[in-house]
Amino acid sequence: MLIDQKMKMADVVLHDPTLVPIINRFGIHLGFGDRTIEEICEEHQLHLQFFVTILNAFHDKLYFPTEQLQSFKASLLIDYLQTAHRYFLDQKTPEIAAMIEKTIQEDEGNKKYYDLIKKFFNEYLEEFSHHIEQEDQVIFPHVLELEKALDSGIINQSLRNKVTLHPIAAYEAEHEDVEAKIFDLKNIIIRYLPTPKNDHLWYQILREIFTLEKELAEHARIEDMILIPKVEAMEKTIRGGK
Amino acid sequence: MGQFRTVVVIEQNYLIQAGLEAIISELPGMVFQKACLGTENNLSGLLIKQNPDVIIVNPEALTEPATVFLNTLNRQISPIIIGLTDSKAAEHLKSPFTHLLFFSDNKLEIQKKIRDICEPVSDREDKKQVLSKREVDILKEVALGLTNQEIANKLFLSVHTVMTHRKNINKKLGIKTVSGLTMYALMNQLVSMEEMENKQ
Repeated sequence: MLIDQKMKMADVVLHDPTLVPIINRFGIHLGFGDRTIEEICEEHQLHLQFFVTILNAFHDKLYFPTEQLQSFKASLLIDYLQTAHRYFLDQKTPEIAAMIEKTIQEDEGNKKYYDLIKKFFNEYLEEFSHHIEQEDQVIFPHVLELEKALDSGIINQSLRNKVTLHPIAAYEAEHEDVEAKIFDLKNIIIRYLPTPKNDHLWYQILREIFTLEKELAEHARIEDMILIPKVEAMEKTIRGGK
Repeated sequence: MGQFRTVVVIEQNYLIQAGLEAIISELPGMVFQKACLGTENNLSGLLIKQNPDVIIVNPEALTEPATVFLNTLNRQISPIIIGLTDSKAAEHLKSPFTHLLFFSDNKLEIQKKIRDICEPVSDREDKKQVLSKREVDILKEVALGLTNQEIANKLFLSVHTVMTHRKNINKKLGIKTVSGLTMYALMNQLVSMEEMENKQ
């Protein structure tokens, strides 16, 4: 289903509750009453097209924005992506780590297994934080610089060189290993580890890992489908020497 | 992975695409991966990367002759390939394929064909996911942090053989990363914590 601005926010969330964390990232919280997406955006002073594009990108795997892409600034998108990064690092992954810690505390007998999971998860976190840092400190500033140059019309030679030598297309290659680790984590829990006494907590951990994986895949898709095409278009303009 | 099989459909007619997706999703262990139009830029490259188990392709959707397309794929990956065409289609459209689905087939015929082609019963039973002795040896070394080259030297194997073993290990265990394999080895006491610490 395609989401549009005339729909009531409540109906959209009733249809797809996994959108709640996304909506929260925009500072919008449950208790929408009967307001439409358009009304809510106005109230929160959000860019309507951008908000609707993000909702659709999360809701439908096959959604691909075309003309909407040009209607908002890259800086808006980067704000959003950075908020999402903070959600992953400050909220989501610490939650999972805390649940693993609790399992270790509660199940002395099998501690050695759960210690291994903890170690594995920490390794994953390290790699994941590194990946995010890379985006926050290298890629995003570069994109902002591009946008600023295009807005002001002042494009210096060093930027032109940078765009020619290191186009954005090279950048998503390293998503892969981070994803493979999550995949392994699921498999190890499902296939090989004994279930601890608190099997409900164990199931919660597993569910959270699946959710994390899904949210990350969607996050990566937003980068691939919205950020990258937008940056490629900017790079093309700069290379074109306009 | 495992006994699940992923399917890609290459067909321009959207109704046929969607219909096949629905029919495939009703079959046990079949996972619909993706529909392509056939006109995508570098389609075979894309497919090689995604490595589906089954490809159902209408030869008329392709921008190159079916035989060329099939050769390119078979050189890199070995999917099960099923042609999709009209039962009255010209011979050159049908002949590249060992297996064929026809537009006129009804739902049950399509499902029966796909099942017969994709999962011979014995195949499902026989695959025991147990590591061989050699694979266990290699897994231990991987867990201890050795590279393929180092393992090859130590066990008197070629690097190529080591890589083949590693692929099979990944497949059997469903674990892709070195950290994951290390964890498996520790859990199953193939290596001990002490050995792990000594290596560093």
